[in-house]
Amino acid sequence: MPVTFHIPGVLREFTAGRSKVEIAQSPTTLADALSALWALYPGVRDRVITEQGQVREHINIFIGDEHVRYTGGLASPVSSGSEISIVPAVSGG
Amino acid sequence: MIGQVLGHYRIVANIGEGGMGVVYRAYDEVLHRDVALKVVKKGASLDPSSSQRLLHEARASSSLAHPNICTIHEVGETDGDLYIVMELVEGKSLAAMSAAVGLAPESVLRYGVQIASALARAHDRGIVHRDLKTANIVITADGQAKVLDFGLAKQVGNGIFEGPTQSFATVENTSSVSGTLPYMAPEILRGEAADHRSDLWALGVVLYEAASGRLPFEGRTGFEISSAIMREIPNPLGPPVPPGLWAVIQRCLTKEPIQRYQRAGEVQAALEAVQSAAIVSTGPTADASAPRATMLHSVKHAQVKKGDHLLLVGTTKGAFILRSNAQRSRWEVGGPYFHGQSVYAMAFDGRAGQHRIWVSTASYWGTLLRSSDDFGKSWTNPQQAPIRFPPNTGVSLKNIWQIVLGRPEEPNVLYCGVEPAALFETRDSGETWSLVRGLFDHPHRPRWMPGNGGLALHTILLDPADNQRMYVAISAGGVYRTTDGGSSWTAQNQGIRCTSTPDKYPEFGQCVHKIALHPDRPERLFLQNHWGLYRSDNGAENWVDIANGVPSDFGFVMLMHPRNPDCVYIVPVESDQFRCACDGRLRVYRTRNNGASWEPLVRGLPQKRAYETVLRDAIAADSLDPVGICFGTRSGQLFGSPDEGRTWQKILDGLPSVVCVRHAVVEDASGGLVPAAPKAASTPLRHTKSLSKSKTRRPKR
Repeated sequence: MPVTFHIPGVLREFTAGRSKVEIAQSPTTLADALSALWALYPGVRDRVITEQGQVREHINIFIGDEHVRYTGGLASPVSSGSEISIVPAVSGG
Repeated sequence: MIGQVLGHYRIVANIGEGGMGVVYRAYDEVLHRDVALKVVKKGASLDPSSSQRLLHEARASSSLAHPNICTIHEVGETDGDLYIVMELVEGKSLAAMSAAVGLAPESVLRYGVQIASALARAHDRGIVHRDLKTANIVITADGQAKVLDFGLAKQVGNGIFEGPTQSFATVENTSSVSGTLPYMAPEILRGEAADHRSDLWALGVVLYEAASGRLPFEGRTGFEISSAIMREIPNPLGPPVPPGLWAVIQRCLTKEPIQRYQRAGEVQAALEAVQSAAIVSTGPTADASAPRATMLHSVKHAQVKKGDHLLLVGTTKGAFILRSNAQRSRWEVGGPYFHGQSVYAMAFDGRAGQHRIWVSTASYWGTLLRSSDDFGKSWTNPQQAPIRFPPNTGVSLKNIWQIVLGRPEEPNVLYCGVEPAALFETRDSGETWSLVRGLFDHPHRPRWMPGNGGLALHTILLDPADNQRMYVAISAGGVYRTTDGGSSWTAQNQGIRCTSTPDKYPEFGQCVHKIALHPDRPERLFLQNHWGLYRSDNGAENWVDIANGVPSDFGFVMLMHPRNPDCVYIVPVESDQFRCACDGRLRVYRTRNNGASWEPLVRGLPQKRAYETVLRDAIAADSLDPVGICFGTRSGQLFGSPDEGRTWQKILDGLPSVVCVRHAVVEDASGGLVPAAPKAASTPLRHTKSLSKSKTRRPKR
């Protein structure tokens, strides 16, 4: 089974309107999966990570229900069938 | 000489021959490695002093450890033979690879970045190549560019520079001139001294040749080539060469060294910026899936006509575009654009017949520079952030605080001041942006400290009289000035008091809130500090206190009158603890005598419980006579004055916090810009009550 990204509304402009993007390759880490996502939809990259390759401060990424902050960040393992969600944080003013 | 041993090098094979000597493949019997060995011919036009100089420079070059520089291992002499031992580089010369049609733009950019990086390293160590050309650059099998003969090129004979591997050339000997002459900068042909910028010219020639397979300056004779170099503009390079690459080449090939890039690092940064842009634009799904522009259908747009006046209003939750006629009494509101995103910088670019609105947007999803050519109906939405710090800086863009147009004679130039504090520039109308390394690499930078709003470069002032001179203001770093087009910068804060450090008058570190200058008196600057109002009469060499009779010398705003160089406007706030209008009275103050005295302008402004704040860029003046002024407040009110501040009226309220106000006039129906009102004679001083004796609120010092 492929890895699936859930794309928030604000980024669908860059995924041809798709709310779900399946990655056909078999990435083993979050970094690999994200690279595959950028290759398909380059505009998503700069919205999610900084030019230095760090996930933006107020953007949260979950693999399943787990926040990747607690599972190894970009090195977090992904496996066949993983569902990855990109979600903006709840904060602001 | 095959089989002979020179020092501890056994000569294996002859691999090339030039006027100054022969190049051999040799084997280092001590370190057991293959090397290239050049034996300089006896009597190769080298007098004893030239020989010494060659030795000296070769030794200096041997200190250059860089992946794109052919390393010199050793320089020696045996039996009167001078020899140079260097890394054996195997590959194809860039000259051979570029022949006829040139290389793909990606390859030109890749090699260009490497060559510029090599030059940057050498120049930092005071070594100039003097003979950079495609024949001196080898591309190895793994795609690495190696620059040969660093520091070995010498002025010999009749004044032609050449490398030891090249045929000896003189002006008279035109048959071999083409080996070197086409890469020579105009200043060399004029007989002036070559410096590192002559290498940057040569780099421009190399890039042109690599991109097109042709030389930019050609001719049948040495005279024709020289003449072309001195006088002609090279034929433009169109697709597939990206406009950004062409812009870099053009700047390298500017006739006057002072107008070129001043450092190889700048060329490297500019090429990297084009590289990033190119990667995105050629992405496999780029066109299909991601529009470059966002159309806004559900937002109300102002119906802008030629001749209209515009107010561009940036807020912490989006941008607005207001439209009026020359009466400036009724305003139609368009927006909000980018709702929810903070818009700290806006600008209108009416140069070269365009009407482009620039805007910076910042949100969780990053910071972008965007533009609209139809007054907000559609906006660019670039896939890749146009302004980005290079990977080797380790720094990420947080916000863009200021967008400034370049000088009128450079309609494709713009600057952005950003957070963390840095300056970016574009020379191709925003297609590609590069970090101004001269400021970013300043040794003070690690010691700049963020102010309340972050560590921001928020103000950029161009000296209209001197295109090499520019000022920036950094909070909290102070004022910095360049007099060489951005290559080097000096702190210019003498006389500005700093309340946040033990040393009250440090060289830098002042929290400058705004600086302003008038085009007619560019040597005079005004400054609103985090506590303190100042003026400099000598190009920021030193500053004098001009807080004569204002209710507080704390504030953010410093607005220059567009025509009267003695007149500036400020909006004092009570203190850094309570950043609101003093006593709850919203008052703009104006001086018309360079700060000798200030007068309050309050008619029409709320004078009771008006705890308002006007932030540094939330005020603008127009170009009419009398001058119109507009400012926005943190509470979301917008006030305007059609008569230089004498009377005010509320234009709008209920906006999010206003952080930026800019004024623009749209090109009129005749195709020309609405002419600025005739220049007023020096504005007569009105009889206003002198405030010089009233108390100025200041912190205890």
